[in-house]
Amino acid sequence: MGWTAYILLIFGFASLFFVAAAFALNWAHRNGQLEHLDAGAASIFDEDEPLGEQTDYFPGKGGKSPISKN
Amino acid sequence: MSAKSPSLLDSFKTSDNEALSIRARLCEVDTSMRGPAVLFLVSAVLWLLLGTFFALIASIKIHSPYFAGSIEEFTFGRVRTVHLNAMIYGWGTNVILAIAPWIMGRLCRTRIRHTSILITAGIFYNIGVTIGVIGILLGDMQGVEWLEMPTYATPLIAIAFCLAGVWVVLAFRWRQSNHIYVSQWYILAAFFWLPWLYTVAQIMILFIPAPGVVQSLTNWWFAHNVLGLWLTPIALATAYYLIPKVLGRPIHSYYLSLVGFWSLAFFYNWAGVHHLIGGPVPAWVISAGVVASVMMVIPVIVTAVNHHMTVVGLHKEGWASPTIRFIVFGALNYTAVSLIGSTMALRSVNEVTHFTHFTVGHSHHGVYGFFTMIMFGGVYYMLPRILEREWPSAFLIRTHWWMCVSGIILMVAALSVGGWIQGVQLNALVESDGVVVPAYTFAEVTQNINWTLVLRSLSGVLLTIGHIAFAINIFWMLGSKPTAGLSKATLLTESEEGVS
Repeated sequence: MGWTAYILLIFGFASLFFVAAAFALNWAHRNGQLEHLDAGAASIFDEDEPLGEQTDYFPGKGGKSPISKN
Repeated sequence: MSAKSPSLLDSFKTSDNEALSIRARLCEVDTSMRGPAVLFLVSAVLWLLLGTFFALIASIKIHSPYFAGSIEEFTFGRVRTVHLNAMIYGWGTNVILAIAPWIMGRLCRTRIRHTSILITAGIFYNIGVTIGVIGILLGDMQGVEWLEMPTYATPLIAIAFCLAGVWVVLAFRWRQSNHIYVSQWYILAAFFWLPWLYTVAQIMILFIPAPGVVQSLTNWWFAHNVLGLWLTPIALATAYYLIPKVLGRPIHSYYLSLVGFWSLAFFYNWAGVHHLIGGPVPAWVISAGVVASVMMVIPVIVTAVNHHMTVVGLHKEGWASPTIRFIVFGALNYTAVSLIGSTMALRSVNEVTHFTHFTVGHSHHGVYGFFTMIMFGGVYYMLPRILEREWPSAFLIRTHWWMCVSGIILMVAALSVGGWIQGVQLNALVESDGVVVPAYTFAEVTQNINWTLVLRSLSGVLLTIGHIAFAINIFWMLGSKPTAGLSKATLLTESEEGVS
């Protein structure tokens, strides 16, 4: 395989990454993943680890544990 | 667990499966991930200590070349390479494989199944890296940067990457969350990119080698993408998950976080060839790399705005959390290192910095100041939850923090100053008797910057102390009993069905 063929091959692989990203973005759009962003941002909180509550502290001093709420 | 565990075959079916479509509680995910996460984390910490040891030897040898110079296995070329491989493949990838699947599991909210896939991957992976590192020490090193491991070790590593990728895709496939959080995008993309990158690079460089300069092109496409499409996305995923999680405040602009992800996904892949500026590569290829490198300013700025604005006003709270201390320090460095990186990709700047210690400082700024610090933060959050134990010593956490912060700042500062002086002096020309000659000899330049290299060794000592403190805390924690009274703690409440 010649020099140019290799360059095109590696460029092809790089392009495939680009195409894969384009497909994923298209899917995300059709799936509604790019809408309701505020709800999306809050989706990591739930009843166990609610919004507005800090969940990590240094152990020991201060009486607050890194894993118990208080 | 009350529901019968489905077989691996069930998980691969495309039809919906009730046993897999159960929403898990966070505490359930945490305890289910204990096995693989501990395996990867313990391996990561052992590699970190080994990598630090070799780093110190390599650093001392640069300013005192006769140090351990009579032992063949401890010659600079091998020691430095063992350090790099132990850190990137040993520490970096193991800690990613501990943290990323755990975050993925938490965000997908699916019941964790088939952790045996991850454990198999972990065993294959660490055997592969061990063989690879021993091979390098014995002199079987490949002459390709970041792919130095001998070819008898690498197929094991490739298989492990594929297995881990399969696990992540399965967790994603059976997710019970409607929204795909930005961290999930990053993790999914990284686990999809890496096996592909690694296999292509192995084949095109080592098994069926491309001729001449194309090999370097493939090499830097690969090596820079390990940074950009493996270490970076995972560190960002961790920051995007844990900053809001710890502070209890959603990310400042979720819209921007998505812009950041998609621009990274589209452009980062092209940036690696900036390592070959000035090399015998077609100019358009280099120009594409320079443009992509400068385009990276977009995801960097949006990520910076997001990470910093989320923390603004909560500095006191953040300071009280080991996780936030490490992650915010890492996020600050992400902004700094990326902007410096984009500048270094400009041809005029690259003329000075290329082939100097400036680049070495820049790599440590990125891989340590940004990636490793964020991963430390991730470990501080994850381990108490999966083990249901508290960190045994706040003193050791503080020691780890102060040593690492001062160590990495000193290292990056010393190497940047030394590297810049080195670059300027190597390029300097004077006219002597009508002939233009170099202003300094190579030996003079080396002597002029020696003091910065001694400072770098000093920074290595600080980092070593930090790593030892971190390791002691982890092994102490693993050996201690579960902390009493946590069964009703918010984050560790038993689910109704009971957690096995």
